[in-house]
Amino acid sequence: MSLTGAAATATEPSLVEPVVRVSSLTKRYGAFAAIEDVTFSLDRGTVTGFLGPNGAGKSTTLRLLLGLAEPTTGEAHVFGRRYRALDEPARRVGAVLESNDFDPGRSGPNHLRALALAAEIPPGRVEEVLQLVELARAADRRVRTYSLGMRQRLGLAGALLGDPELLVLDEPANGLDPAGVHWLRTFLRRFADQGGTVLIASHVLAEVAQTVDQVMIIDRGRLVATARLDELAGRGETLENTYLKLTVREAS
Amino acid sequence: MTAQLRAELLKLRSTQTNLGLFLALLGLVLFVVLLHGFSVPVERISHRSNQLKLVFGWAALLGSLFAALLGALSITGEFRHGTIRPTFLVTPRRGRVVAAKVWACMLFGSAFGVIAAAVATGVGSAALTMRGLEIRLDGGDYALLLAGCGVAAALWAAIGVGLGALVRSQVTTVVGICAWLLFVEGLLLGDVGLVGDVGRFMPGALGKAASGQDPLLTPGLAMFLLALYAAAAAAAGWVATARRDVA
Ligand SMILES: Nc1ncnc2c1ncn2[C@@H]1O[C@H](COP(=O)(O)OP(=O)(O)OP(=O)(O)O)[C@@H](O)[C@H]1O
Ligand SMILES: [Mg+2]
Repeated sequence: MSLTGAAATATEPSLVEPVVRVSSLTKRYGAFAAIEDVTFSLDRGTVTGFLGPNGAGKSTTLRLLLGLAEPTTGEAHVFGRRYRALDEPARRVGAVLESNDFDPGRSGPNHLRALALAAEIPPGRVEEVLQLVELARAADRRVRTYSLGMRQRLGLAGALLGDPELLVLDEPANGLDPAGVHWLRTFLRRFADQGGTVLIASHVLAEVAQTVDQVMIIDRGRLVATARLDELAGRGETLENTYLKLTVREAS
Repeated sequence: MTAQLRAELLKLRSTQTNLGLFLALLGLVLFVVLLHGFSVPVERISHRSNQLKLVFGWAALLGSLFAALLGALSITGEFRHGTIRPTFLVTPRRGRVVAAKVWACMLFGSAFGVIAAAVATGVGSAALTMRGLEIRLDGGDYALLLAGCGVAAALWAAIGVGLGALVRSQVTTVVGICAWLLFVEGLLLGDVGLVGDVGRFMPGALGKAASGQDPLLTPGLAMFLLALYAAAAAAAGWVATARRDVA
């Protein structure tokens, strides 16, 4: 990250385009709405947790944001454009949507090299990102032999190849050991402090509570709350209480 | 698109899948050509056209088949293992990915075809010579065999990519290609001759005709017609890939 300049603060409405702007986003599969009328925007330098129960629509929202699926209605913009219209997407956005998107027969470095070639990123960057995610020592063998945590790190290395300004991660802490979780948290914090923007989908509340500035809670396809963590704390509420109040169906 | 092409060439080289395909192709060519070279009765392989069709020409079918599998695996493998997600995140203009796969697989496919033809030439003539048979093929025939098998396999690789992009399921695509080439065309159209003259314009038959195995169809025309099939399959795969969601 090498960006400088005035970031929008929370109190002043910004004149700069938000990094992510999602408006009235809806995705239907047949009659079933996986997400419905989802609207939010993310400013530069923030870490946002995207929370919700299984099947709430988190991954669907991220897929629409990243151009992997097309919305039924509404739009999703990153840096002011549809993802699929970005010129050098890997240099602006890094994303990990699944923890195991590798060919088991290909080595980790070759996986990264192929991505770097397609994105026209210098090959030397592969070694750099492997070191960044602390995978350099053990990595040069087929992904088949990697542990879950190593795969998470390799996925993250791929997202970091282009030195992006926005990171979009779906359940990134899954499978990381405590040291790995701590490392990820520190990494994301530093990334945001240097002006980067992070969106993390997760259902591990404790994990998110320690990492993010703000949360968005989605339930059955609808965004039910967005809140800054310091505001919640100010009102004497915990993230867990808020989350459970909003997402637990009729107590039984 | 050259960036994507480089990436696809690295992907084809960086797993052992395609090496395995190549070795299987070599093994099958050796086996089938030797089997026929030694076992077909003398009176059936005394002519040039019979020698080409019954002994050397197997390289066309096998080269095409394995090139098609290479093409199909290159795209269905991405859906199967989920690498399609990072691939499309880096290159969201999906047409470029499909086009790069088509060119990369055509390059590898043509090598499959040419090498299969070279091996068939070597072991086929050795087998016939050992039986004391005179080989009726001349230099031009051999050249056409190499070129025709190379072109046929390259075009079949493009067909494989297109079908794979359309179908997405690896098992379905692979079974479909094998079933078509080995059974539908091989048995129904060829030996049983159910559909008469139409069979000669089917893509597998055109792959053989490209190396001069069909006296009624010039190699050039066969290559052209097969190229139409390849273009249609690639275009269908392109359109389907651009439009459909990735899970
Ligand atoms: N291709 C699809 N066809 C039909 N339904 C789908 C499809 N993709 C997602 N869904 C449905 O949309 C809903 C939202 O799924 P999504 O994967 O976005 O949930 P999620 O919030 O990421 O859940 P999790 O925490 O379990 O990852 C689910 O009910 C899911 O079954
Ligand atoms: Mg999910």
